[in-house]
Amino acid sequence: MSHAPATISAERRRAPRRPDLAGVRRAVARLTLPVLLLLPALIIIGGLVGYPLVKTIWLSFTETRLGDLVDGSGEWVGLANYKEVFTDEHLRTSLINTVVFGTACVIGTMVFGFAVALLLNERLRGNLLFGLAVLLPWAVPALAASAIWRWLFDDRYGFVNWALVNLGFSHFQDYAWFADRNSAYVAIFVTVVWQSFPFVALSLLAGLQTLPRETLHAAAVDGASAWQRFRLVTLPLLRPIVAVLVVFSTIWDFKIFDQIYVMAQGVPDRAADTAAVTAYRESFALGHYGVGSAVAVVLFVVLLAFSIVYVRMIGKEAQA
Amino acid sequence: MKGMRWLAAGALVGALAVAGCGGDDGDNGSAANTGGDGAISGSITTWIMDPGSPKLQEVFNQYAKDFEAEHAGSDVKIEFVPWAQAHDKFTTAIAGGKVPDVAEMGTTWTPEFADQGAFEPVPAAAAGDYVSSLVDAATLDGEVWGKPWYAGARALVYRKDVLKKAGVEPPKTWDELKAAATAIKEKGGGIYPVAFNGLTEHYYLPAIWQAGGEIATQDGASWKAALNSPEGTQAIDFYTSFYKEDLTPKASIGWEEPDAQEAFINGDVAMLIAGGWTYNSIIQTKPELEKNIGTALAPAGPSGKDTAFAGGSHLVVFKESKDVATANAFVDFMLEPENLNKFTSEIGFLPGTTAGIEASGYLDDPVRKPFAEQLLDHSAVYPPSPRWGALEGANIFDGVIQNVMKGKESPEEAAKSLAEQMDQEFAG
Repeated sequence: MSHAPATISAERRRAPRRPDLAGVRRAVARLTLPVLLLLPALIIIGGLVGYPLVKTIWLSFTETRLGDLVDGSGEWVGLANYKEVFTDEHLRTSLINTVVFGTACVIGTMVFGFAVALLLNERLRGNLLFGLAVLLPWAVPALAASAIWRWLFDDRYGFVNWALVNLGFSHFQDYAWFADRNSAYVAIFVTVVWQSFPFVALSLLAGLQTLPRETLHAAAVDGASAWQRFRLVTLPLLRPIVAVLVVFSTIWDFKIFDQIYVMAQGVPDRAADTAAVTAYRESFALGHYGVGSAVAVVLFVVLLAFSIVYVRMIGKEAQA
Repeated sequence: MKGMRWLAAGALVGALAVAGCGGDDGDNGSAANTGGDGAISGSITTWIMDPGSPKLQEVFNQYAKDFEAEHAGSDVKIEFVPWAQAHDKFTTAIAGGKVPDVAEMGTTWTPEFADQGAFEPVPAAAAGDYVSSLVDAATLDGEVWGKPWYAGARALVYRKDVLKKAGVEPPKTWDELKAAATAIKEKGGGIYPVAFNGLTEHYYLPAIWQAGGEIATQDGASWKAALNSPEGTQAIDFYTSFYKEDLTPKASIGWEEPDAQEAFINGDVAMLIAGGWTYNSIIQTKPELEKNIGTALAPAGPSGKDTAFAGGSHLVVFKESKDVATANAFVDFMLEPENLNKFTSEIGFLPGTTAGIEASGYLDDPVRKPFAEQLLDHSAVYPPSPRWGALEGANIFDGVIQNVMKGKESPEEAAKSLAEQMDQEFAG
């Protein structure tokens, strides 16, 4: 009995340490297996994403030619390439094109996607078939779609000019869509929206079908018009989905490559090139790997900002 | 004669549009070069510029089969690369270390990639075996890096029926060309007079020579732009005036050579700057046009010169090839006169070897004679600088010419800015 207090005090002394050690040990045990299991994936991601990223950022601070690239002997030039990106007229134009044209494509995709989603949400005859048809453009590879649309917009043999002329717009006889930046952008805009609306439409359709019918009924009973029901009930309820789709579309449309590469190559002075195409051409056509990398890094930073917004949004949703 | 140059053959691409052309590079392993031992039994990959017709592709595939039959154990894989993508593809292949063993190389690109150390040097050939200017085009720092394969120059191809309808003779000078074009626009029945593209420098750069100017001049080891001159300005003004005066389709501002060829085949343009290879491709695609097609030398400029660009191809062996002996053997095999002529006569180029030219019989064929004459007596080459390929790859000329066509720049401004860009690249 007499040593009981000693035991207690000894225990008291050890007490704060023991759970600590056990906790660490348990945490390590708990983490070892997952980390081991994740390791192969982490190595692959590090190799496929990390290495090129780091290398590109490094290249963007160097003056590197094809020969230097082979033996890795680029000359460090600091921020000179970035200065060129923002002062050279062609490079700056390509960044502005990316933002302006990309934004236009996002708006176009969202509006058209919404319209199709609302249409599909109505219980109309043949909607199943229509829904399947909507998916098809999405399944066409971007390169093939660009080539097809380039033909549809061909000056002499294209369907678009034929249709416009037959509708009475004789101005479009032999109209060269790709001979001017703005008209080329119209054609490319149609191609991009045509390819990207299915995803938006189907995502929104899924959202629309989860909306509580009672709320919409109640609004209708209270005398809200169709437009008011859409603006005041449907849209606020779909906001999380719309936000995510806007961020997604922005990321896709800002790094657009195939459509521009195929359709804008004949536009005078390459005035319609976007940042992704410019980065490629500066590097692989001109052999200016440093400047090309700088363009790519600027585009990457812009997209990173959007991705952070997206991740934040997902985080908030998980909490909600 | 300076180095003779290169690449004529954008037209070969034919109607070929998009080109995923997967360079199957998987088999370039780390095996050491076996150049010394002379065994011809390896597997090699060969990149050939896409001739755009299945018949010609078959000629190349047959080379591979014949070669494999001759050398037991060897395996030759032929891959076709469209001209329009070829420069980018070689650049990425060299940068990534995934090169083919053997490749056809546009003659203006050979010095550029040789300068990067991409090729095996070619053993000295006996003088007179090859067309000497084509050997010069493959020479850098005193060594030869490619074997001449074929060459050609663009002359004038026209529709006899349309010219007759418009009441004009085949034009021999710039003035006659303009007059003929104007007459065809008025009386040709809706056909465009010419196709003067915005993306084909082999159409408009020779106009500088025809005007009496130079594109660049050599100054010791380096080059200096020379097109910022009254002649250069005049050439740009003349070429772009056809677009401004609606004598070429509006869409042609964004056309490459195959687009113009296609328009000619479809009966949308009456006159074309074209080489024998384009002529062959046209009559193969649309045989009924043959009786209505005439050929003539390129129209002469105010200086009296009717110079066209002499282009062609070399065959090169890559340094990183894992079997240099087999690669060299296959190159020599393709250059044997009977093999060479199977291809050149079909495609409409002149062979790059002396023996091949003797066997070809080009000068006896009245329709093809202008193409041969154009190459042999009325042609010149672009500056054989290692930087020229990059200038071409970047299409620095096209954007400026397009701006002049659109009226956004004057011909004087264009000549000045081109000279600046060229000098920047030459100094590079």
